[in-house]
Amino acid sequence: MDNKLEQLQEEYRNVPIPDELDFIVNKALKAKKKKKLSSKWLAGVSAAAMVFVIGINASATVANAFSVIPGVDSIVKVLTFREYAVNEPTYNADIKVPVITNLDNKELELGLNQKYLAENKKLFEEFQTEMESLKKDGDGHLGIDTGFEVKTDNDSILSIGRYVVNTVASSSTTMKYDTIDKKNQILLNLPMLFKDDKYINVISENISNQMIAQMKDDPDKIYWVATEENKDPLFDFKSITKDQSFYINNSGQLVISFDKYEVAPGYMGLSEFVIPTEVISDILVSHNLIK
Amino acid sequence: MANRNIEKILTRCITDNKENVYRLSYSYVKNKEDALDIVQDSIYKAISSIDLLKDPEAVKSWYYRIVVNTALDFLRKQKKVQVVDEETILSNSPGTEDVYQDIDLERTLDDLPDKYRSVIVLRYFEDLKIDEVAEVLNENVNTIKTRLYQALQLLRVTMNDEYSKEVK
Repeated sequence: MDNKLEQLQEEYRNVPIPDELDFIVNKALKAKKKKKLSSKWLAGVSAAAMVFVIGINASATVANAFSVIPGVDSIVKVLTFREYAVNEPTYNADIKVPVITNLDNKELELGLNQKYLAENKKLFEEFQTEMESLKKDGDGHLGIDTGFEVKTDNDSILSIGRYVVNTVASSSTTMKYDTIDKKNQILLNLPMLFKDDKYINVISENISNQMIAQMKDDPDKIYWVATEENKDPLFDFKSITKDQSFYINNSGQLVISFDKYEVAPGYMGLSEFVIPTEVISDILVSHNLIK
Repeated sequence: MANRNIEKILTRCITDNKENVYRLSYSYVKNKEDALDIVQDSIYKAISSIDLLKDPEAVKSWYYRIVVNTALDFLRKQKKVQVVDEETILSNSPGTEDVYQDIDLERTLDDLPDKYRSVIVLRYFEDLKIDEVAEVLNENVNTIKTRLYQALQLLRVTMNDEYSKEVK
């Protein structure tokens, strides 16, 4: 083979493989598998997780107790119910569980609170299992951070976002929202806001346009959407899902949210798109919530 | 189930090629952290778009294509900031007479536009066949041959019979 090329090839092959590679590859592969195997993860739960189980059983009582604390107004509130933490040099967990109080619809309140606890309990258990297996294999770095932010809290809407940040060498973030219609005391989902399925296309098209416009304005931004230069079908945002993550912001606009890696490279983080109300005005069921 | 099968094939492909893919990413970004990030991003991307993989036979080129695109996305973002190491600054400064042979070589490959560098790396370092390279880069075979020829010329690689045969 040609000398120069051979030299270049050798240089290429001599790039050292970092120790973290295996771990990162396995972790990334697991990210998907975990969802399917979740029940098996219950095995090997440590004592700390037991506290969680008790927590769940007590949750209804605790939530009720909050609502009668003197000085806490009888309005719907989101509080931190309990926190779990692991603090070791290379292992960090910070898990905050939200609890909703003072909803008149107690069934909904209990349902949501149990869901939050169950979600966080599962994450904590997974973290523990992973940590144990890492310790057995030598060492590693692992971090998890969950919590919540109240996106909107006004007379008609309560939107709570719960985030999960998983840290290995780089981090992945997921965000889930619950939006409650306070007047009717119901949990909103995307399909119920619209007259029919047309919203999927209308919103998707608007988001594509926003992506392309943002990329034009700022060359640092990249979304996986087909543009005139880049028509690769693999990197083409086509459509939101029927139950795409969303919330309603304080000015009554619909905000569609995507997780890290969902529509853009990792460095872009979470992506959010405010859908201008005039775009969806015709297909909304009512203008009470979205203005 | 067909789906489960494809998933298995993809997982194996990711695991079998992890070191190759790391080196491939490294050849674009030239540092460990970013290369690892690209590997991770690519795996996420591959798993989440597995439905788009129609032909399990072509899984490797499909996965490589994701890696190359993820790396190029990353570079596009980084374009404004070019990291120059001390060695390079020294060798470019006036008054330096000694230019080391292999540093010169290394820079030659790094200085090639991405489209030329990609074909060289995939064809000669990753040992893909011409039509596999074409698939990874989403171009037709003739375009790849032309690019390979131009890339070799840019590298001033003297071509022996073996190379000329291939790109003609």
